[in-house]
Amino acid sequence: MIKCPVCQAEHPENTLFCDECGSYLLGGNQTETDPLAVAEVTWLEREETSEAPVEEEVTAPLGLKLTVPDSGRDVEVPLTKEVNIGRLDPASASFPDIDLTSDGGLEKGVSRRHAKITRRGKEVFIEDLGSINGTFLNRKKLTPYLPQALKSGDELQLGKLILRVSFQ
Amino acid sequence: MILRATPSYQTLSCLGEEQAFYVLLEIMPIPEIKGKRPPLNLCLVLDRSTSMQGDRLQRAKDAASYLIDRLGEDDTFSLVVFSDKAETVLSGRQRPNKGLAKSVVSTIGSWGGTEILQGLLAGLSEIEKCRLPHSINHLILLTDGQTYGDEEGCLEQAEMARQRQISITTLGLGADWNDELLDQIAARSGGTSAYIDSPTKIVEVFRDKIHNLRSVLAHELTLTLRLGKEVKLREAFRVSPYITRLEEQGGVFPLGMLESHKGDVCLIDMLVSPRPAGQHRLIRAEVVGDVPALARQKERAWQEIIVNFTEELIPDQQVPSAIVGALGKLAIFKMQEKALIELERGQTDLATQRLETMATRLINIGEIELARAALLEAGRIAKTGQLSPEGRKKIKYGTRSLSILPREVRHD
Repeated sequence: MIKCPVCQAEHPENTLFCDECGSYLLGGNQTETDPLAVAEVTWLEREETSEAPVEEEVTAPLGLKLTVPDSGRDVEVPLTKEVNIGRLDPASASFPDIDLTSDGGLEKGVSRRHAKITRRGKEVFIEDLGSINGTFLNRKKLTPYLPQALKSGDELQLGKLILRVSFQ
Repeated sequence: MILRATPSYQTLSCLGEEQAFYVLLEIMPIPEIKGKRPPLNLCLVLDRSTSMQGDRLQRAKDAASYLIDRLGEDDTFSLVVFSDKAETVLSGRQRPNKGLAKSVVSTIGSWGGTEILQGLLAGLSEIEKCRLPHSINHLILLTDGQTYGDEEGCLEQAEMARQRQISITTLGLGADWNDELLDQIAARSGGTSAYIDSPTKIVEVFRDKIHNLRSVLAHELTLTLRLGKEVKLREAFRVSPYITRLEEQGGVFPLGMLESHKGDVCLIDMLVSPRPAGQHRLIRAEVVGDVPALARQKERAWQEIIVNFTEELIPDQQVPSAIVGALGKLAIFKMQEKALIELERGQTDLATQRLETMATRLINIGEIELARAALLEAGRIAKTGQLSPEGRKKIKYGTRSLSILPREVRHD
């Protein structure tokens, strides 16, 4: 048996979350995002050019595809609710919809709650959630908590991690 | 179909007591059927009662016209409106004259009360008339009110619909509809239910719905779980595209339809009894479904989870992040379920406290709007002992859509 450190409810061994209060039961250390040196966190120039810009969407996009060029990973997610991007860290109750841990998120300065993408009517917006190392949209650093329109073909940079955006 | 099974651990310690074990099941279409689309046999059943008057009915009519515009060559469409009685405004036919159909829609007016059974009966009979061998048969019901006295009849029709391969989407508009009834109608037919808080969102919901229906790759999906010796099933959930508790019916868990752009993900929560060291089969999961585009019935895919039990110390094992993420959101969903039960039992203190804790968890994962709703309702319960009808729906349907697991494609 293991005991929830918060509400003292008992659970069988290897239970991951407390049913009573939602706490993570396996403990473990929180993984804090370290601030990168100021000079490091700028728009990263890369040799590779992005694909031809996709024609502007006339209707509202239904889903979103994020490509992580560094790890060769595509992530597809419907836009039926807001999409939180960051790093999974159960010890601090962070469960982003898109977890960038396996793409080197921690080393590249991605915060646990870094940014979110929301569809409002026909438009899609990106908002930095006060991340430690910032979010860039097509070379421009976003003001935290100020949503900016996002288009298919745009490039995002979270800390030093690059993401390519396409709508579906 | 492809079934992928991910266990929480590959190796377990031989313990003298029961231990928890989780398996994440991902159901995906095989690439060869991507793009092929079976014909759609769709009936829209609209509430036209007096409460729909004004913006609600106008937006619903706009949404109906939107659906008509998006019908394909092979699709069949019918439209039923109902209040105390039902009227078939557009009888089901292939390639309807879209202009004419939309002008008929524009003439719909509102009157009378809400008798959902009348609407369901007329709608289901339209679908029955237009059935094709491999068509996706679906009914969308939109209502903003309570039905009285015909609830049992509605549930019977939903059961019968499932037996005739017709699934039902129920959409509740505003705050004054019976969420338990609409949830049950949808669940028993193998469909889904949703909450629309404002008439301005009707078109958006219809747009997502028609898109999903046009991308159905398999339907009549069921999941069967065969548990190993002394393995107990604690709970089973669908965790994506939305969270629902899976209920066993006749030895199987009905899953409904599989859409191409959203994988179906389920999470199985088990308890494993003590056992000796060695390899043990803990679970065999099988999905069966009809794939209309390939004219194949009862397509199968299965996976077995065999785990190594050891007396030795296991070096640090990580639970796959997809399982941790899904369970974290599921924990919030379950808190909401518990709070509603506590409220029904009159345990208002417990319900208040639970909603407050839930709000903290929601803030942690960035779901600020939902957290706000939970806090507001916690305060209301403390004062009045009740939830507002609107708050109840916001929390119930909001936590259900917490877990949209992204689908991953790796190009290694």
